[in-house]
Amino acid sequence: MFRFDVYVPRDLRDALEASKIYGEELLPIGGGTDLLVLYRQGLVKFRILLDLWPLRNELSYVKLEGGSVKIGALTTINELESSELLKDKRFAGLRDACRGFASPFIKSVATVGGNVGAAHPLSDIAITLLTYDANVRLKSLEGERVIPLKSFYLDKRKTVRRSDELITEVIFKEPPSNASSAYLKLDRRIGHGMGYVAVSVYAELDDRLIREIRIAFDSMGRAFPERALRTEDSLRGKELSEDNISRAVHDVLPKEMNRISDYRASAEYRLYLSQVLLKRALLEVGRRVGG
Amino acid sequence: MSSVPEYYKIIEEVFEKYKDKEFLFVGRHSQRWDSVEKIKGRALFTADFAKLYSNLVYVHSVRTKYAHALIKSIDVSEASKYPGVLKVITAKDIPGINDVGYVIPDQPLIAERKVRYVGDIIALVVAENPLVAREASELIEVEYEPLPVITNPLDVVDLMTLREKPHTLIHDERGSDVLVHFKIRRGDVERAMREADVRVEGVYKTPFQEHAYMEPEASIAIPEPEGSVTVIASTQCPFDVRKAVAKVLGLTLNKVRIVVPAVGGGFGGKEDVANEVAAKAALAAVLTGRPALVVHTREESIIGHSKRHPAIAWYRHAAKRDGTLLAVEANIVMDGGAYASLGPFVPWRATVHATGPYKVQSARVDVVRVYTNNVYSGAFRGFGNPQVIFAVERQMDLLAEELGMDPVELRLKNILRVGDETVHGQKLTEEHGVGLEEAVIKAVEASRWFELRRRYSEITGPIRRGIGIALFYHGNSIGVEGADYSSVTLIINRDGSITIRTGLTEFGQGSTWGLALIAAEILGVPPSYFKIENPDTSATPDAGPTVASRATVMGGAATVVAAYKLRKRLNEVASHILGCDPDDVVIRAPDVYCSSDPSRRTKWADVVEQSFWLGVPLQEFGYYRAPRALWDEETGQGAPYITYTFGAIIADVEVDIETGLVRVNKIYTAYDIGKVINKMGAELNAEGGAIQALGYALMEELIHDKEGRVSNPNLSTYYIPTIKDVPEIIPIWVEAKYKKGPLGAKGFGEPSFNAVAAAIANAVAHAIKANVTELPVTPERVYTILKSKQKI
Amino acid sequence: MSTPRTSWDTYRDIEVSFKVNGREVKVRVKPYERLIDVLRNKLGLLSVKEGCGRGECGACVVIMNGKLIPTCLTLAVRAEGSEILTLEGIAPEGKLHAIQKALLDTYSMQCGFCFPGVIMASKYLLDKNPDPTEDEIRDALDGNLCRCGSYLRFIKAVKLASRYIREGKIFFDESEVLR
Repeated sequence: MFRFDVYVPRDLRDALEASKIYGEELLPIGGGTDLLVLYRQGLVKFRILLDLWPLRNELSYVKLEGGSVKIGALTTINELESSELLKDKRFAGLRDACRGFASPFIKSVATVGGNVGAAHPLSDIAITLLTYDANVRLKSLEGERVIPLKSFYLDKRKTVRRSDELITEVIFKEPPSNASSAYLKLDRRIGHGMGYVAVSVYAELDDRLIREIRIAFDSMGRAFPERALRTEDSLRGKELSEDNISRAVHDVLPKEMNRISDYRASAEYRLYLSQVLLKRALLEVGRRVGG
Repeated sequence: MSSVPEYYKIIEEVFEKYKDKEFLFVGRHSQRWDSVEKIKGRALFTADFAKLYSNLVYVHSVRTKYAHALIKSIDVSEASKYPGVLKVITAKDIPGINDVGYVIPDQPLIAERKVRYVGDIIALVVAENPLVAREASELIEVEYEPLPVITNPLDVVDLMTLREKPHTLIHDERGSDVLVHFKIRRGDVERAMREADVRVEGVYKTPFQEHAYMEPEASIAIPEPEGSVTVIASTQCPFDVRKAVAKVLGLTLNKVRIVVPAVGGGFGGKEDVANEVAAKAALAAVLTGRPALVVHTREESIIGHSKRHPAIAWYRHAAKRDGTLLAVEANIVMDGGAYASLGPFVPWRATVHATGPYKVQSARVDVVRVYTNNVYSGAFRGFGNPQVIFAVERQMDLLAEELGMDPVELRLKNILRVGDETVHGQKLTEEHGVGLEEAVIKAVEASRWFELRRRYSEITGPIRRGIGIALFYHGNSIGVEGADYSSVTLIINRDGSITIRTGLTEFGQGSTWGLALIAAEILGVPPSYFKIENPDTSATPDAGPTVASRATVMGGAATVVAAYKLRKRLNEVASHILGCDPDDVVIRAPDVYCSSDPSRRTKWADVVEQSFWLGVPLQEFGYYRAPRALWDEETGQGAPYITYTFGAIIADVEVDIETGLVRVNKIYTAYDIGKVINKMGAELNAEGGAIQALGYALMEELIHDKEGRVSNPNLSTYYIPTIKDVPEIIPIWVEAKYKKGPLGAKGFGEPSFNAVAAAIANAVAHAIKANVTELPVTPERVYTILKSKQKI
Repeated sequence: MSTPRTSWDTYRDIEVSFKVNGREVKVRVKPYERLIDVLRNKLGLLSVKEGCGRGECGACVVIMNGKLIPTCLTLAVRAEGSEILTLEGIAPEGKLHAIQKALLDTYSMQCGFCFPGVIMASKYLLDKNPDPTEDEIRDALDGNLCRCGSYLRFIKAVKLASRYIREGKIFFDESEVLR
């Protein structure tokens, strides 16, 4: 069936009730920029859409609370990009991810929760949040669970979210003052694009000493964003020097990254580009922390 | 017919009269007649008309599951019963002939015996709601017998021998999958190759390119009394659509009316697909008795209409040490996809232009076009020329490198000038207008070519820079493809306003506005007095298709004829009113006066009104038929086109060596389009063509998988340039007038695209100091080239 | 106008009230209807064009509650209580908005299909950023595809429009259009 019904909830509780009642027949819709395209292609079927837009007054926010950064799931990319918080250089990578996300009118309605829940490798916000070691809060009538984003994905387009749960926010620890991040992707045109590969780097630096580092790519081999843990290990505690970067990028990364070849690009080029962008992102973070 | 037709004499007389004059309207900026309604969003495009019909039905095209298969059976009974469905149409419901082929009848509207590409239609579901139609289509049961899918044209013919290989025939009814084979045989190529000081050879590949016009295909058909039908269609060729619809419905031409409203882009893509779209709508309308709407989704548009022919071209050039070209050899295989479309003609144009705008003593060119199970190829701005220009201009740069000559110097040594013979033996004269040298010199000067060519070579570091040049010529109008005629009716209304009726269509290129400017100039009346009617096969004359860069040169000539005759009559009436000689009459509407005595004056409105009372008709039909083109099938010798547009493009680029990403900084486009008629249209065309060609150069390629399915059928995976990709574009105009053209004008619709990609490719090759042989030059291709040369 | 119920039409009508171009409207929509369908087919606002149906071309954008949105990806029910501006409403009857005047003055018209989207995206930009740089203009129009290639003209036109607006000239008479 291509026609469907819509449930417009009064509030979050009402939405959760509908999710419980309709189960697999119902899918929540945020901005719709991903879901409605999948639907159009016949890749996803549903009988009812749960319109999340009425929940925006509850679930759209970017705030610092109790030492944690909390972003409501229904915060649009534009709202995230223009938030006070993101002016801070500690979140520069998130700003990069917002800026290159897509065209302006997609950013108006696409949501953080949608990007996290899409479980597609080239999800700019999700990749960046992984490097902030973010958690995802899932609510249901029964209560709530907080799942680390790095354990959130099961496969392409599959997450641990149950059909009676809704993503309500992402949350991560406020980074220290010596932290910054960078997000890079590259495609075959200057205008907006998905990217062949995408990388996010978060680091805490004392002079050039890497106190903490987290690196995430659109894919390390599986069909969803993941951290490059061994590459991180090879840099953690070391100096952000040309040699160390070179070693991490050329010797370590290829050992833990498996790229696929498809009509868009070959595995070889994807790996090569991942190396180039990782190097550039590392250098950029170094510059940003340095001030 | 021994005497020279009157219209040739009129064109030449008018050319002579105006050649040194200062123009009032021609060649100046002016606002097109439909600009304001479009800026307000009030202009109606085809799909917008749906709002006017309250009992519209929607037609959904059900496409095949396989790219190549026999259809064993089809069962639409369940789908027909689905609530909201009025009818499910299959091939057997077609009252006339089941074919929409533009040139040859090889393309069924609805597949019956077999399917040959993923866009083939197996049924049409007509329903009250488009989503209902889509739901019902899932209930259609088809039994297929899949056949081997061919997606590589070199599986059909061998590139070097051009012999057909054994394979499961796609057009088994024809007995062969080679559609056409064109040749040039000139001079003694073998001897030239032996005697040459240098030889350069290479294999060049270009991809399927998607038109991606912003308005997807659409048609609305309204059933008329007595089995007639009116179809509102987004098309470039209303009279061809009429023929196709009449054929499918089994009606005479006068029972089918095609109307063309505002069209959102064509670029050659709406040359033939409208046959299919209009026929589908007409069929549904006639069989249900209700107005029927067909609108393609973007994905359908991409998989369901013609593409630019991909080409695989082997070339070998031979030259003397001093740079003189001795011979060119080429074998070119063009991938035609599943159906012929404009395929009988595209390879012909490619063949004619296969050696570039140069003097070539000896040449052997063989071009074949084969069927495959890919999406079918047809007309796209350039029509075979961009593909050969890419190969030729890369070859010229390789030759230059081999000879140690600057690429511009090598080209200047060989370009065609007045008095030279083309590779077909056509002598180019002052009459044709040959502005290539001037274009090259101006482009070279504007771009600081010599300085930058040297300076950029010295750059090291991660960002390299390059500057490249490409030249071309482009035969105007359709050559030997058919009878080349055009027509226009000019009507001066009683209040002095003017109506232009022509079958030529406006889809963004502004050439019909050029016709208004020509008429304005000859009549002496401001362009704002003119309105151009929508092409309508029941009301506007058949002007031939709006293709082949012919609208200005052919439609313009017809306009000159009509305006000339009207002007003569107006002069007579004015002379009667003012008492001076008819030749003495000056019209500068709203004023009309005698040039020898300006105090004798009256108003335009008065002259018009008097004409009515005097019984002087103020409408005129202008007709123009191009001089016949000549082409010998065995040797490719003759005079293939009435004249040629020339151009020189220089591109200035930078390449990020690490990622392979190319960024174009500047494009200098120097064009000789004869007398520029519509200045605004010409500038926009130059910019737009360069941008579309930048896409062809760097990012556009339609990819099929091994099953013949399109991997990137939408605009987020088929990349076209956005505003962020666009460089500075500097247009330069050279006016080497075509004396047999309207006021000296030549065509420009396609030339604005032709050589830009080649110039960019040459610039990239300069920047990375390596050979580029394939388009698009994506970051990965640059990476692969550099890696193979161990530069990274 | 209420659609007569037929047997295929089993989905309920939802009444949606909103303001479009300053006018209050009440329409009955199906749950699966998109805002683009409602604006075009029910309200006759045909300037909203469908170029791709997937949010990839920008031809269908309007300004809803002050945000530039893709109507082809917006459910009609979302319009409830909103204020929508389309091209038909950016200038009073008989007048042209500075952006429209500037696009005409720079002779940028080719096929015109992408123009409504480009004008709305330009308005959205100038409303927030009255004096944008060339880069900011490119960023703001990045999502509006124009295959005819009038991009360079858009940049010139937005700059010209921003000048008109800063000089206090927001609306122009049609007669002021450069011919």
